[in-house]
Amino acid sequence: MKILEVKNLSVEARADKKTILKNISFEIEEKSIFVLIGPNGSGKSTLAYTLIGIPRFKITSGKIFFLGKEISKLPIYKRARMGLALGFQEPAYFKGISVENFLKACSKNSQQKEIEKALDLVGLEPKKFLKRKMDQQLSSGERKRIELASVIVMKPKLMILDEPDSGLDIIIYKELYDILDNIRQATNASILLITHREEIGFLADQAGFLNKGELVYKGKFDDVMIRYCQSVGRRKRCRKLKVKKT
Amino acid sequence: MQIPNLFLKSAKKCGYDVKLMQTSGISHLYIESNKILSLQGNPGLIIKTKRLSQGVAIKILVKKNVKIKKPVFLCFGILNPKGKQIILPEIILEKNSELKILAHCTFPQATKVIHKMKAKIELKKASKLFYTETHYHGENFGAEVVPNFKILLRQNTYLENKFILKQGSIGKLKINLEAILEKNSFAEIDSQIIGKGREDDVSIFDKLLLEGENSHSLIKLKGAAINGGKILFKGETRASKLAKNSRGHIDCQEIIIGKNSFAQSIPIISVENPEARITHEASIGKVNQKQLETLMARGLSEKQAISFIVRGVVK
Ligand SMILES: Nc1ncnc2c1ncn2[C@@H]1O[C@H](COP(=O)(O)OP(=O)(O)OP(=O)(O)O)[C@@H](O)[C@H]1O
Ligand SMILES: [Mg+2]
Repeated sequence: MKILEVKNLSVEARADKKTILKNISFEIEEKSIFVLIGPNGSGKSTLAYTLIGIPRFKITSGKIFFLGKEISKLPIYKRARMGLALGFQEPAYFKGISVENFLKACSKNSQQKEIEKALDLVGLEPKKFLKRKMDQQLSSGERKRIELASVIVMKPKLMILDEPDSGLDIIIYKELYDILDNIRQATNASILLITHREEIGFLADQAGFLNKGELVYKGKFDDVMIRYCQSVGRRKRCRKLKVKKT
Repeated sequence: MQIPNLFLKSAKKCGYDVKLMQTSGISHLYIESNKILSLQGNPGLIIKTKRLSQGVAIKILVKKNVKIKKPVFLCFGILNPKGKQIILPEIILEKNSELKILAHCTFPQATKVIHKMKAKIELKKASKLFYTETHYHGENFGAEVVPNFKILLRQNTYLENKFILKQGSIGKLKINLEAILEKNSFAEIDSQIIGKGREDDVSIFDKLLLEGENSHSLIKLKGAAINGGKILFKGETRASKLAKNSRGHIDCQEIIIGKNSFAQSIPIISVENPEARITHEASIGKVNQKQLETLMARGLSEKQAISFIVRGVVK
């Protein structure tokens, strides 16, 4: 079954009526990982925000189907309650709120055990982090991991993760990919993963390349990567990829 | 010990340890209207009361060098929807003593309740007081509550004073607190208020006078004015000529939500000693949009998300 279907989606920013996404169509299968790549400003986050329903963006044409139901007009929290989750690229900080209370708020029925398990899964020691405050004293890497944990405890059917690997160092983002693989195994969720890093390739079932608001190519990750390198002028890298392919 | 169920329920709502409250031997004083329901002192801690026609006068005294480790519970309430209560506490900590008070004022059914309190507190040399007062005024906006504090901090004393009203409606609330700080004393005055409706009308005036060398003070207000609630806050700190090296700070953070809500913060600071320093910061603003979106993307409705954020700020 298809978890997500996006059909001819065009989106503008409400503030200045500027078109950001043009005629986007793609699908995500059950239990699969779809990797979305694209240069800065191409509209990746906007797509994520539109899928979850952030009202800053307006759908000017097209439709979004989640689990076969049209969700284009539902408010954010209703989409979330259906099992659609978004981990933000730049997560918000909450002064005065503990990690534990934040995770509890994110998970309607999660037991303490599951909250601790989620923290474990993202590599944060529960004992150390449950009582920490969700304020700027958290490092950005720690905050990103908590963001991921907060998506995990929702037990969603589709996780949209907006650059969960940015701002993490080399060893850590490799670890993160294992985490994502584990999440997929453990939760059966599909993942829409927005990233700049090609190292993610081994995980991808499908991929798409977004450029200037258009999904210019979709298919196998390696092919998408080649298009991406061609387009952003990384010729050397591109040649290498082609060589590897043949 | 006979504690009315409504007292316990409302104390629990405000976060008190109700089991501890009911432990035998724990010092306490429970008053409903002008009736003394239960009173328990302890060695070194004297609690006396005098019944008045519309309230009770109270004297609490901690003897010299006595440090009371377990908290003393004070509960003042009116259980009827209508009534008036005047509470006149005098709290004295003798030299080098220590006390922790958990006070709770409750008017759970109030439609027309008036509660006035005039407290006089004196901390003698090197004594320490931790005073927390939580309130529950029911859900009907039917209370008018006027607490008044006059506090004297002698040399080397320490005071933490918290006033918390976050559950239910408020009605009218007018707090006036004045404290004088002598040499080497420290006072933190902390208010946490959530006004949720059109009839919630709050004014808080905290005034601290730094009159001794090395005295330190902090006034904090964390508040939320929601759906027509009004909060007016005036925080004043003065350092007198004698207050060499004294430090004072006023910090006010408020969230404002919905039509007709109103929040105002007026800091007043004045310094007469060139080696004293007093600062203030204040912010009033709407709920952070990013926080709101984050929580809604986790399945919280807008209302749930706002209440979660407000609880974080007003803490
Ligand atoms: N609220 C908004 N109003 C107007 N323009 C916006 C708004 N949000 C984003 N944009 C613009 O839309 C374009 C796409 O932005 P978006 O954040 O989706 O890019 P991105 O692909 O996620 O980039 P990055 O890799 O840097 O995260 C950019 O040109 C951006 O400036
Ligand atoms: Mg982005």
